[in-house]
Amino acid sequence: MSDKVSSLIDITERDESVDDMWGGFRQIERIRLELSQRYYYSLGRQSRFFIELANQRFFASACDGCEKVYAPPRPLCPACLRPCDWRELSGEGSLETWSALYFSPGTNADVAALEPPYVLAYALLDGADTLFPHLLRAEAASLQRGMRLRVAYNEGPVSHPIHLMYFAPA
Amino acid sequence: MSSLPVIAAVGCTKIASEHRDCNARDLLADALLDMLADAGMAGLDAVEHGLASYESDHFNMQMTMGAILHDSIGMMPKPGLRVEGGGATGALALRTAWAHIQSGLCDSILVYGVEKNGRGLSSRTANQLFALSADVDWETAIGGTYTGFYAAMMRAHMAKYGTREEQFAHVAARNRGNAAFNPIAQRPMDISIDDVLRSCPVAEPYKLLDCSLLSDGAACILLASEAWARAHVPAYQSRPAVYFTGTGCGTDTMRLGDRYPHITNFRAKQQAAQAAYAMAGIRDPLRELDVAEVYDSYSGVEIQAVEDLGWVAQGAGGQAVAAGAFDLDGALPVNPSGGLLGRGAPVGATGILQALEIAQQLWGVADARRQVNNAKRGLTDTHAGIASISVVNIFERRD
Ligand SMILES: [Zn+2]
Repeated sequence: MSDKVSSLIDITERDESVDDMWGGFRQIERIRLELSQRYYYSLGRQSRFFIELANQRFFASACDGCEKVYAPPRPLCPACLRPCDWRELSGEGSLETWSALYFSPGTNADVAALEPPYVLAYALLDGADTLFPHLLRAEAASLQRGMRLRVAYNEGPVSHPIHLMYFAPA
Repeated sequence: MSSLPVIAAVGCTKIASEHRDCNARDLLADALLDMLADAGMAGLDAVEHGLASYESDHFNMQMTMGAILHDSIGMMPKPGLRVEGGGATGALALRTAWAHIQSGLCDSILVYGVEKNGRGLSSRTANQLFALSADVDWETAIGGTYTGFYAAMMRAHMAKYGTREEQFAHVAARNRGNAAFNPIAQRPMDISIDDVLRSCPVAEPYKLLDCSLLSDGAACILLASEAWARAHVPAYQSRPAVYFTGTGCGTDTMRLGDRYPHITNFRAKQQAAQAAYAMAGIRDPLRELDVAEVYDSYSGVEIQAVEDLGWVAQGAGGQAVAAGAFDLDGALPVNPSGGLLGRGAPVGATGILQALEIAQQLWGVADARRQVNNAKRGLTDTHAGIASISVVNIFERRD
């Protein structure tokens, strides 16, 4: 199917051939369709987080009302419905939970380049109240809950600015 | 005139990894003809409203498919709408239909769910499209997958409560075994807990046989007021009345990390269940329910669900499952259909298929090997993502 533009499939192996009301509709054609999509996608009010990664700085957002610190940052505090402020964190934290993934979804070039198994980690960064998800570059067998991690930075170029960072053991 | 809806009729296709001779419209046609035969109805002339349930425009390379499906079964010029809520789509569609009947907006509504999720796309395209159902800015971009999010949750559950891999392997083996008694099931298997433990890792701690299926299939349910069903559905009088007595919906943050420190269980499901129980007048669900279809997208999710649905204490799900409490001969049979693991999961049809199984159980017409004896009250549990949307629906036989 992958190489042909279209193919005819004559469905002859169906076992309900007796009394099949669709007997006149057994020739089936499958065609290959391609749809390429390009977005000029705004990261919106989250943008500063991604911009500062290039400066090797890690920013969360903090709400003045409830004092909650969001990482990933939220421009609007969903509890207070008021704008948060940017707050820089050290980028150090601890591993809360994780999974070693054996199949890459190939979402972008950086993800497609990962060699499975790769580790999806949730880290509680010092000063934050939420867990931040990212790739942890470490052997899955060596991981322990509570172990110290740090945000590490890439020079790029990257396919998505989130890949300017990753987690590494501290 | 407001009235509690009844399930007037049900129908579906066989669930398969691919119905390559059918597009979405063809699948709907087969499910609808099956439903008309079940109802003893010649057509849809009397049916007042349509409701389309499917998850993805991308999978069909077709937007506004709800209108096309409505057209393909001749529902014009009657009103119609489409409901979407990720994995919860089918259950949310039934909940929406419940409100249409209860409000008096109509006395009959055809809910039809269809999905072509099987092999009609290259696996690369399918992976990329599924990845878009996570938060694309923070989760999709790093290579996160739902299998990974569920796995990280399960690891937290194991760390907090001591839940073990062989406990969720029990679910994987049991549900696929139940599927052997369901003629529409996609993937019945006679497997052991060891077979599950030995299958290849996908996202630790989940292995291949812990994961549910991608499916093609369709299902229809005709919901109606009791009076309408009596007047228009010949089969209605010949079987016990099954009422749709409760529906609850809950939500949670999209990203797992935002739920910290509550990352072992599904808050949305707890909320949905409590609302549904209150509406249906259920105080002690484990005793008052006779059968349930639970959203086993991954085997461990059923363990989390039996806790969040209030059947066992938080953290006690693993032991209860492994002890057989939810097997066909247990205290509360769960997923007699085979569940998402064994029957299959054509997304927009999944919640409808769960309700279809409950209806057949309450009517007493399921295959004898999976029929729960004298089942009077049944529940469906369906969710989207890692339960960012959760829907619990309750059905009751009234003789
Ligand atoms: Zn706040």
